[in-house]
Amino acid sequence: MKEKLEALLNEGVAKITGAKSESELQEVKASLLGKQGSLTGILKEMPKLDASLRPEIGRMVNQLKERFTTLIDTQRETISLNASKISDDFDCTVPGIKPFKGGLHPITQMCYDLNDAFRSMGFEIFDEADITSELYGFDNLNFPPNHPARESMDTYWLKGHDTGKAEDKLCLRPHLTGASVRYMQTHKPPYRFVYPGRVYRNETTDARHERAFFQYEALIVDKDFTFTAGKVMIKSILSKVFGKDVPVRMRAGFFPFVEPGFEIDMGCLVCGGKGCSVCKQVGWIEIMPGGTPHPNVLRAAGLDPDEYTGFYVNIGLDRLVMMRYGVDDVRLFHSADLRFLSQFC
Amino acid sequence: MKLSLDWIKDYVQLPDDMDLKRLSYDLTMSTVEVEDAEDLGASFDKIIVGEIKEVLPHPNADKLRICRTDIGGEIKDIVCGGTNVAAGMKVVVACPGAMVRWHGEGEPVEIKNAKLRGVESFGMICASSEIGLADLFPAGEAEIMDVSAFDAPAGTPVADALDLNDIILEIDNKSMTNRPDLWGHYGIARELAALYDLPLKEITPFDPAGLPELTVAVEDKERCPRYIGAEITGLSVKPAPYKMQNRIWKVGMRPINALVDITNYVMLATGQPTHAFDADNISEHITVRRANDGEKLLLLNDKDLALTPDDLVIADSESAVGLAGVMGGSKDSVLPKTNRVILEVANFQAAGIRRTALRYENRTEAAARYEKAVDPERCDQAVSMAMELFAELYPEMKVVAYSDTYPEKLKKAEIDVPMDWLKRRLGQEISNETILNKLGRLGFEVSFTEGNMHITAPTWRSTGDISIKDDIMEEVARMYGYDNFEPTLITTSFSGAINQLDIDLERKIREYLAFRCGMQEIFTYPWMSDEYVNAILQSTEGMFELSAPPSPTEKYVRTSLLPNLVKAVAENLRYFNEFSVFEATKVCFDRNYTTPYDVREKLPEMRRNVAGAMVGDYKNVETLFRQMKGILEPMARYTHMEELTFEKVEKPVWADDVVWLNILLNGKIVGNFALLAKKISMDCGIKNSAVMLFELDIDSLVPYKSRTNKFEHMPEYPMNDYDVSVLFDTSVKWKDIHDVIMSKSGPDSLLRSASFVEEYKGKQVPDGKKSVTIRLVIGSLTKTLTSDEIESCANAVTKRLVKQLGAELRFK
Repeated sequence: MKEKLEALLNEGVAKITGAKSESELQEVKASLLGKQGSLTGILKEMPKLDASLRPEIGRMVNQLKERFTTLIDTQRETISLNASKISDDFDCTVPGIKPFKGGLHPITQMCYDLNDAFRSMGFEIFDEADITSELYGFDNLNFPPNHPARESMDTYWLKGHDTGKAEDKLCLRPHLTGASVRYMQTHKPPYRFVYPGRVYRNETTDARHERAFFQYEALIVDKDFTFTAGKVMIKSILSKVFGKDVPVRMRAGFFPFVEPGFEIDMGCLVCGGKGCSVCKQVGWIEIMPGGTPHPNVLRAAGLDPDEYTGFYVNIGLDRLVMMRYGVDDVRLFHSADLRFLSQFC
Repeated sequence: MKLSLDWIKDYVQLPDDMDLKRLSYDLTMSTVEVEDAEDLGASFDKIIVGEIKEVLPHPNADKLRICRTDIGGEIKDIVCGGTNVAAGMKVVVACPGAMVRWHGEGEPVEIKNAKLRGVESFGMICASSEIGLADLFPAGEAEIMDVSAFDAPAGTPVADALDLNDIILEIDNKSMTNRPDLWGHYGIARELAALYDLPLKEITPFDPAGLPELTVAVEDKERCPRYIGAEITGLSVKPAPYKMQNRIWKVGMRPINALVDITNYVMLATGQPTHAFDADNISEHITVRRANDGEKLLLLNDKDLALTPDDLVIADSESAVGLAGVMGGSKDSVLPKTNRVILEVANFQAAGIRRTALRYENRTEAAARYEKAVDPERCDQAVSMAMELFAELYPEMKVVAYSDTYPEKLKKAEIDVPMDWLKRRLGQEISNETILNKLGRLGFEVSFTEGNMHITAPTWRSTGDISIKDDIMEEVARMYGYDNFEPTLITTSFSGAINQLDIDLERKIREYLAFRCGMQEIFTYPWMSDEYVNAILQSTEGMFELSAPPSPTEKYVRTSLLPNLVKAVAENLRYFNEFSVFEATKVCFDRNYTTPYDVREKLPEMRRNVAGAMVGDYKNVETLFRQMKGILEPMARYTHMEELTFEKVEKPVWADDVVWLNILLNGKIVGNFALLAKKISMDCGIKNSAVMLFELDIDSLVPYKSRTNKFEHMPEYPMNDYDVSVLFDTSVKWKDIHDVIMSKSGPDSLLRSASFVEEYKGKQVPDGKKSVTIRLVIGSLTKTLTSDEIESCANAVTKRLVKQLGAELRFK
């Protein structure tokens, strides 16, 4: 009988301290002290006991009962302290309250991503103003005097500043490349810098053409820099921006301010180069022109082209962003439409 | 430009198993961008020659007939509405599965067996327009295509019968604007010959020896460096042989008649435009001269021009007969009765042709080639090829007079290339043999001496394309293959960490507004709508105007970001009620010119601005004001620049009369912050919303060189918040209240700070009064204060307010 009581003690303590809720505790209480409970069962067996043993067993049963009751009360308090004070009906599926809206323009985001990538490779950032003269817009860049781009159907000239000598003619810059000469004239070689910004072309707009768009140019000028190192540079930058290895190819291309000039293509990230509608089944997407700065450009910057050479790329930011997000109309970037812009915060 | 691979093979024998993908890739990598390579034959799949055996009436339709047609060992009934069907005629049958354009219009559709008005029809007998051959086989309306003239039995695939198995390469014109030599099949053949080390067919020059001199007077030798004229007799107007028509058609031109087709064929082959005049209509002789002012010329395409002295014309003794290098005149070109011609193979200066073609919006195939600067010696090739074709098509033809006016021969470009320079720039050495082979095939003469390579460029590369040693490096590199160079690592020498405070400040401001303040960045154009300029800036002083603006009402270049910002607000109000946006970009002013770079160049004042708008209900102007002020006040702290202050100095023209402040840095106005005046809001189409605006000149801001925050020890003794509510006249400003509260607090005073909690006007306070709740922070650095000490400090403050500002204590 004693052994039975001891076993019951161990069992009871374990059950009570193991109870995790009030209802569980009630169940344990009933199983120990209730009418059908274990202790009541033992009491019912008392008459069968030898009379000499009854007082001691009786005392032990009472002690046990008391022990259990105290323990249950303590456990009840513990459970109640730890329990949530919130109603069970609380709905955890309601949506969260968002912090502020707001964000950077998707082109700014891409521009900053590139800035970070280039800075990590030791490039400075140069910022040129939006108005330039024909001297810096064209002459310094080896554009022949009658190049079609100089005409007003392509460039936004400013009224009252649209005739005369190249240095007197002012326009909204048609490209960024003129800025490279400005930087070189005011800094000492070797050069390693990027110059992002908006450029302007007087043309009819559609889903693929804009009057104002973003370019991102990078220029290295050093002694004996080869275009093969340029390819490595582009590959590292694109791989950082897109977060994976991006195949790059350089092919023949012509631009007045470079010699040799390249069209630089990246492998289509949509199909992985197999060919799809995005890359017009070619597997490659033309993303930037590039090349070695033309000797006349280096001369305009006051450098000896026999001593210095370099590598230049012009990344079309709009196209890169369109690729990143699958945007299919370039005009959206200047729409200031919050329904569009808020998708990229 | 379209090229026929079959045609190219006339000049370079490409291997029969040439991988087309490879060819397109190699041309793209080394020379020009191949945009597409179309298998022409494939589009004629399941389209065959059929022979009509019997034509039966259709039981249910008057206009339809049933043609019993042999399709190669099998007779099929085909229902057809063609007006010219007849027994014995060879026709084109589109079998089930073929793709045709219904009546020559719309997208191609698949042919299926079908019942037509109750009669089962096998496929369809095609009109030329239905299989895309209308230009090659012109036909009357409702006529089907008659191929009886072709020696092909019934059942022959039409692509075989009509010689349509060819690959058409589509070249991106933009990729060869600098290469006049590539604007014909022969030029591309030369590139392929060099790429694949194959022989290039030579064209034997025409020998004019012994021919009588044709009189030609070239008056403007600068604009017309060379003029070959040849008078040819024994001709007539007739269709060209099918093969010639077929080739001209495949690359996108329309066959006309043999005489015209020969001139077009020569141009497409060599890139040299040619023209034929009816010799009977040329009075006296040809003169090449400038047009007289207002001189009339009716072109072949019926455009009636009044010329300018900048235009070059081909004329006879009476009048202009052609616009040189652009298009012939309608009166004197090939006419139906023409039997002798003067063939013109001439060279014209590029820039002049371009101006003329643009002036009359007449950019013909000829003009497109001339404006790239064709070399004058290509005339020899063109004459030779033309003479061969005339002789082939007109065996009885005779050249009766000939002249070649070429006073100043084109100088070939000569360039020296130091070999060590080439090696350094390419990053690797390429053998003399390789260079000699590749450049030789491209027409360059190459000779090596000690450490030097002397190059003589061919004439077709000497009109501007090749002039310096870098050009030669490019030729070597592209022929060697850009893909074949080993990647080189970039070497760097860092001279120090990059520190560009100015650039970084702009980014910090943008990121602060976007990420901390929840504003959305927008981009707008640099030009502004007149409507918003007039409403907001109310003056166009100092503004640039575009010579050719995007629209007549968007001509001004921005001096402020506000007009476009407000426009963006107005447009977004269609979809949103409450939002905030900002833009950071350049503004420019037609004033304060400086020469920061080249001394010759004067640049106007240009600055970087940032502007923002916060939009909400007009009823909540006060909250809106405090929200925007809450963005601007701590901006300097968060973006690490010198502190800004806010004061009323000079009201911006667009601002509300009451709600406005200037933003100052060291006493100088660097920006504005205000509510857009109600009237101006209305003028901008904004009816019910309040628009809070700010604009700040970033270039005036001064970034800190590093962070300037200073650590302060946490107080050792309790600091006690003590709120008091005080009644003031509504005219009393918070700044005055704060100044009074803090006026007695030295460093050892128990009052540490005072802050604004809220302001109340309404039922519970008398008219003309407002209740301001102020939170005082009271504490000592040396001990814990008793409640009496705290109380007496607070009482001292309220007493000052009562005494100096006439305040009444409300409750505490």
